[in-house]
Amino acid sequence: MYMGIDIGSSSSKAVILDKTRRILASAVVNTGTGTQGPEKVVETALALAGLFPEDILYRVATGYGRMLYGKADRQITEISCHARGAAYLVPEAGTIIDIGGQDAKIIRVDRDGRVENFVMNDKCAAGTGRFIEVMARILDCPIDQLAELSTRATEEIAISSTCTVFAESEVISQLASGAKRENVAKGAHHSIAMRVAGLGGRIGIRPIVVMTGGVALNLEIVRALESEIGYRIVVAENPQATGALGAALYAAECNL
Amino acid sequence: MSRLHKIISELEEISTHPGRAVRKQMEKTGKKAVGCFPYYTPEEIIYAAGMLPVGMWGGQSEIKQADTYLQSFCCSIMRENLEQGMSGVYDMLSAVIIPTYCDTLKCVCENWKVAVPQIKTIPMVYPQNRATSAGVAYMTDEYRRVIKELEAMTGAEITETELLKSIALYEGYRRTIRKFVAISGHYPKTLNARVRHAVIKAGFFCDKKNYSTMIGELLSELKKVPSEKSEGIRVVLTGILAEPDALLDLFDENGVTIVADDLAQESRQFRTSVDMGENALEMLAYRYAIQECSLLYDEAKRRGTLLKDLVKDNRADGVVIVMMKFCDPEEFDYPIYKKELEEEGIPMLYLEIEQKMDSVEQLRTRIQAFTEMVMHKSLFYNGKENDDVHGY
Ligand code: SF4
Repeated sequence: MYMGIDIGSSSSKAVILDKTRRILASAVVNTGTGTQGPEKVVETALALAGLFPEDILYRVATGYGRMLYGKADRQITEISCHARGAAYLVPEAGTIIDIGGQDAKIIRVDRDGRVENFVMNDKCAAGTGRFIEVMARILDCPIDQLAELSTRATEEIAISSTCTVFAESEVISQLASGAKRENVAKGAHHSIAMRVAGLGGRIGIRPIVVMTGGVALNLEIVRALESEIGYRIVVAENPQATGALGAALYAAECNL
Repeated sequence: MSRLHKIISELEEISTHPGRAVRKQMEKTGKKAVGCFPYYTPEEIIYAAGMLPVGMWGGQSEIKQADTYLQSFCCSIMRENLEQGMSGVYDMLSAVIIPTYCDTLKCVCENWKVAVPQIKTIPMVYPQNRATSAGVAYMTDEYRRVIKELEAMTGAEITETELLKSIALYEGYRRTIRKFVAISGHYPKTLNARVRHAVIKAGFFCDKKNYSTMIGELLSELKKVPSEKSEGIRVVLTGILAEPDALLDLFDENGVTIVADDLAQESRQFRTSVDMGENALEMLAYRYAIQECSLLYDEAKRRGTLLKDLVKDNRADGVVIVMMKFCDPEEFDYPIYKKELEEEGIPMLYLEIEQKMDSVEQLRTRIQAFTEMVMHKSLFYNGKENDDVHGY
């Protein structure tokens, strides 16, 4: 049995595969590196699969916290792991867009699911999950209902600042001058899509486009992104766990 | 400690504590020191004047005072240089020569006069069209002006004989350090990224005569030990410089061997030789005329070709672009050579850097992912899973 553990900035994910690379268990815990999250997600995945730690032959850790997690046999970056996981789920994938809590990545893969090129956003939080969190907070809307809020918009209020901190004050003043929450929410979704599409322009996007990472659960962003890049997007099944799945696939290969 | 490691640690000491090294040499030789701002300040002339040229390449200190003159969107080297000047770090220098290639340097040249009045400023304006006879004539005139300023400081004439001697010494230095650069890729452990950088950088703070001797000795010690196998990938670096050390450590951590560079702080300094001229100043001007660097106007836009050749000649797996944040000359070049390298199928990694970085985690992920990308075949497939996979 093989395990992949993806330790992100705001969540931890684990996937267990059997010898034939079938998914036995997949778990997500909403706390990331520096917390009990990684331990907990491993325990949960083991319990779901009905396995003991010693049943696992090889572990690969990925994600921002991969170097800190001491119990893996090997560390592989989330770039390679998301590519591997997405190509396993969608074998014809040409480009993978992964938006996580703190960063956004665009990865181009070849026919065999290997990384051809990649870009990551720079240090700032624009175009990442963090931006959505901040927007949800000012709009006083639970993060999982933000997309729904945006669908009720009658028009779009554009957010011109790319910087999350500036965008925050921009939105506050919009709301203060009477803008409707749903219209601002729509603008927020569009703003992320523009940032990510701009990033994609740096390496070029090739269909089929697969989206992974927690932000892919927000269908409004997926839709906005589709219209920005001009391609349909396939959302990976269980998008949050794609990196962990890729790590588990590598674990199986490393153990050959 | 073996002789080899002793020389290396001496050079590392010089490059990490330049102030100490410069003071020591000033005491020993009784020479005055003149600061050389990047890039291509005529060290040969300073040396011929019997003074010690000292490179000024920023640092890692906290910016407090320099903010008064340079906004936070100026490159970190210049902010550091000004900060250190203002806080007295460079007070042992009798003068600084400041060239005016980019917008930031143009401002610094004026700023320095007021911000660091205790150290004399000698500006240098380089010609745009370097390879024409007018360019060479203009350049030699600029050199003459610098010579006058230096002569006024020492009270002694800088003779043609001294200049020629100095040029010969610098040519020797350039030959020696080029040999080091060529051989360093064969010793990825002993001369890892951090050591390679320190050895080259130390040259900015040494009398080039002593430095050449040290490098010469280092080379002959290296010959006695067998070359080392590199386990990871081989890259060419391009940009202004590759710092801080934490970045270089990431290359080592991920088994990345630097097999060649196109860095302003490293090979661009010494890859060009003097090859013509009827007198000393013409020799300097002609050498300058054929130098290749993002800061020097190049109608032919040769950087892409140059990088492709470096990759080919050194059997490199890819190019790592260390982009100094807010450096416009480097950014202007990027789209042009990026396209050319892409057409050639050469993998590239773009890293934006500053001299002082609080966290290198993002860089770690990028470098590691790049290695994984380039090494994918050998790492994960081993020919077992899929026989027809192709490498990069
Ligand atoms: S060339 Fe670039 S790094 Fe150098 S001083 Fe100018 S802006 Fe700064």
